[in-house]
Amino acid sequence: MSKPRVLAIAIAIAALCAACASPERSRSLNDPSIPATATAQQVCSICHGIDGNAVSPNFPRIAGQPEPYLVSQLKAFRGHNRSDPQGFEYMWGLSRSFTDAQIEQLAAYFAAQKPLANPAHSDPALAARGQALFENGKTDKNLPPCKACHGDHAQGNQGFPRLAGQHADYIVKQLDVFQRTDERPEGAVMKTIAHLLDRDDIEAVAAYVQSVN
Amino acid sequence: MTSKITGFIVAFALLAASWHAHAVPAFNRQTGQNCVACHAGGQYPDLTPYGRLFKLTGYTIGERALPLAAMAVVSANKTRSTTSPDPNFDAAANFPKDGNLIFQTASVFLAGKVASNVGLFAQFTYNNYDAQNGTDSAWMGHGVSDNFDLRYADRFISPERDLIIGATMNNNPGVQDPWNSIPAWGYNTVPGSTGPAATPIIAGGLAQNVAGLGGYLFWNRTVYAELTGYRTANGFWSFLSQGFTTTRGDMQKVKGANPYWRFALTHDWGAHSAMVGTYGMNVNVYPDPTNESGPTSRYRDAAIDAQYQYILDPHSLTVTATYAREKVDYADSLAGQPHPLDPDGTLGLPLTNSSDSLRMFRAKATYAYHARYGGSLSYVDVSGSTNAALQTSAYDPTNPGVLLDGSQGVLGSLAGNPGTRAWTGEIFWTPVQNIRTGLQYTAFSKFNGGSSNYDGFGRNAKDNDTVFFYVWLAY
Repeated sequence: MSKPRVLAIAIAIAALCAACASPERSRSLNDPSIPATATAQQVCSICHGIDGNAVSPNFPRIAGQPEPYLVSQLKAFRGHNRSDPQGFEYMWGLSRSFTDAQIEQLAAYFAAQKPLANPAHSDPALAARGQALFENGKTDKNLPPCKACHGDHAQGNQGFPRLAGQHADYIVKQLDVFQRTDERPEGAVMKTIAHLLDRDDIEAVAAYVQSVN
Repeated sequence: MTSKITGFIVAFALLAASWHAHAVPAFNRQTGQNCVACHAGGQYPDLTPYGRLFKLTGYTIGERALPLAAMAVVSANKTRSTTSPDPNFDAAANFPKDGNLIFQTASVFLAGKVASNVGLFAQFTYNNYDAQNGTDSAWMGHGVSDNFDLRYADRFISPERDLIIGATMNNNPGVQDPWNSIPAWGYNTVPGSTGPAATPIIAGGLAQNVAGLGGYLFWNRTVYAELTGYRTANGFWSFLSQGFTTTRGDMQKVKGANPYWRFALTHDWGAHSAMVGTYGMNVNVYPDPTNESGPTSRYRDAAIDAQYQYILDPHSLTVTATYAREKVDYADSLAGQPHPLDPDGTLGLPLTNSSDSLRMFRAKATYAYHARYGGSLSYVDVSGSTNAALQTSAYDPTNPGVLLDGSQGVLGSLAGNPGTRAWTGEIFWTPVQNIRTGLQYTAFSKFNGGSSNYDGFGRNAKDNDTVFFYVWLAY
């Protein structure tokens, strides 16, 4: 093939590529004109699922999370105010150029998704113990019931996240973060609570909320 | 030597102390993410499910950033035995770097998002110990094109379907693949590590000699299919084979466009991800790369592969396996020729084959804890037909007991057979995500067709056992 011909083909392909580039299917993260739906579906979906029901327990299920909670977390990632490993390894970079409007639209997208039952197995005995903690807390230790803030059905409320159907592994790791670190200052209220939980409590409550539909 | 190592350790410690997690290569600058997002347990080149999607969507997630990165490898090899009873064996020529801590290679990468749907991964490598000059055996460095993958990708995703369609332009069959069971990314990935002498042509045999253009699709994160055609990377395409020449003997020429195909099924559940697939290539290679005319040797490679991954912080496990079969039909100029040690045919040694078969099985398991410490175990088994063309020594039929010596040293073969079996164990440590240091031990139970006396002069396969130490830096 002659050089001019190759060059012509290369230019044609480049022009075609440019023509194919659609904001509706963009994976750019620093362009406020990209619709939030495009970002959610092209990028967020890779780990969290297109409907927010993440398959891998490495990534939290965010379908049906209260919108204010999602907004506060995205802003905390963007401002480096949430620095647990899973937060900064993945989310600092992805959120660094989002505008407030993009964050609000992304939060609205995932808040509107239907949370599905988590297919992971929870040990029934462990989950039953977790349910008791979730519903009654521990009166002798002044541990309030989880449902007081997270809702009767663990559905979440405003700034308090939905826990129903959340991966048990994610719950355990986040309770550890609250208990042992100051990496989530926005959740400081959980620090006190997490200190009242021992390892068995954490695993029990995580198993329970994972099993709640 | 000792002072060199001490100096190096001090430098390494200083480096480790001064670098931190924000100092990351080009793709990290583009996405702002940590290595562990795309690389399983932070161990390059193994990709996570997210890393595979990043690659298949054309390296376009994120924002355009400085598309430059660099990598360097400092390493040392120590072979179990560097001597041979062969009177013509030249230890210095066979093991010129043995036991020396050397600055093996350095690479620069041009990598990142080019346009909304276009991204690039291009590597240029300088081999510091490329060859020794003839006069005083001083080492000469040499710069070459390394792996190149320019991609275009578009993703049509909705709650009902997810379809990625893409195109790739690359210079190494398999380098465009997102799984690590493919030879291009799966085995002997640390520059300077040890492996079998003979492998099928699809396992790197055409790397940086060819230019490929292909298309792929990935449907519902379940079905992957790809077809790519490869031609010689000369003329306009010579930027993909810079530094490779026929004079150096590292440039092959292929006839026309040669198809490479790939099909895979994959599924993710919980923290698990699995893939089963098949890939292969038909390629016609000119027996004499300086003469692009006449009959070619035809290679037909077909392989199956599989990968399993479990990634749940702090654990990361990647297990890969592949089995490849190759059939080669030689061009007339290579088939039925006199034995290399009997050019006149006076000794009656057999003629060379008109065709050969080669089989390769490789498997590897890598575990990393907290993306920091880990190890891997891998196995390779190469077997194939015996061919007089591969014999570097042979018993003289007219003179019983006399061994004819082709003087190929450590790569010699009495059997004329490629059969090689080896285990490699490795432990590694990644103190910060830019630095990985590791120690490998490769144990050969068979080499070039024999376990003992494989070269005809008393060298055993286990004499090639190698300890390999490396420090791999990426910035």
